[in-house]
Amino acid sequence: MLDFVLNLLIFFIITTSFVREPGISVNRQEAETASARESGNILIALRANDEIWMDRRQVDLREVRPLVERLHVERPEDTVIVIADKAAKTGLLAQVMDEVSLGGIEEIAIGAMTPGGE
Amino acid sequence: MRRHFDHEDSTGIDLAPMLDFVLNLLIFFIITAVFVKEVGLDVTRHGGAVGGQASGKETGSISVVIRENGEIVVDERIVDVRAVRANVERLHAQKPDWGVMVTTEQEAETGLLVQVIDQVHQGGVDNVSFGTSSR
Repeated sequence: MLDFVLNLLIFFIITTSFVREPGISVNRQEAETASARESGNILIALRANDEIWMDRRQVDLREVRPLVERLHVERPEDTVIVIADKAAKTGLLAQVMDEVSLGGIEEIAIGAMTPGGE
Repeated sequence: MRRHFDHEDSTGIDLAPMLDFVLNLLIFFIITAVFVKEVGLDVTRHGGAVGGQASGKETGSISVVIRENGEIVVDERIVDVRAVRANVERLHAQKPDWGVMVTTEQEAETGLLVQVIDQVHQGGVDNVSFGTSSR
């Protein structure tokens, strides 16, 4: 029983501690077909005033690529979710997605929320 | 007798406090794990800095344009957000192997983009790519 509990503990430590939270909350758009991303561990938030937040701090657009490159080397199976505010500009979203794919991660999702839920 | 006592001392480690501690840690991590489930919509990027690799084969695509004043153009007609789904369904029935290409103007809002991609997914097309146009 002790072995089992320790295994569970190690499992949860591994799965939780590698999520890169952006550090702010944004006002997301609801989407019916939004699905939970199991491996979406690198979160990039875009605010309505064109700020980019990543890894709990505000970053410049030019910093996104080296940051993504570093995280990609650390854990190659991670994917990126770009959480953009409802009022954020799609031009910036496209630029951020370009920087992410230049950083080596092709699988990018746009963050949304399920209707009425989280 | 003495030998017997020594033997008991070495094996009788009290595991209860350690077990309590480990269980507390376990409960803490389970609780925090629940909150890091992200939801999102899959899109591929086209026409960006990493050019020419988004589309593997040469097929056409259904074009959806979002203008910066909030107008949505599907198939050269301005439509409402709620009509995107029906239009995509119709075009998808005509060209089942085509994907959808959503092109937005730089200043268009992301909320509308997400709504449109959601509608396209509901219309039965999962292969959505996204690009911006400058004018």
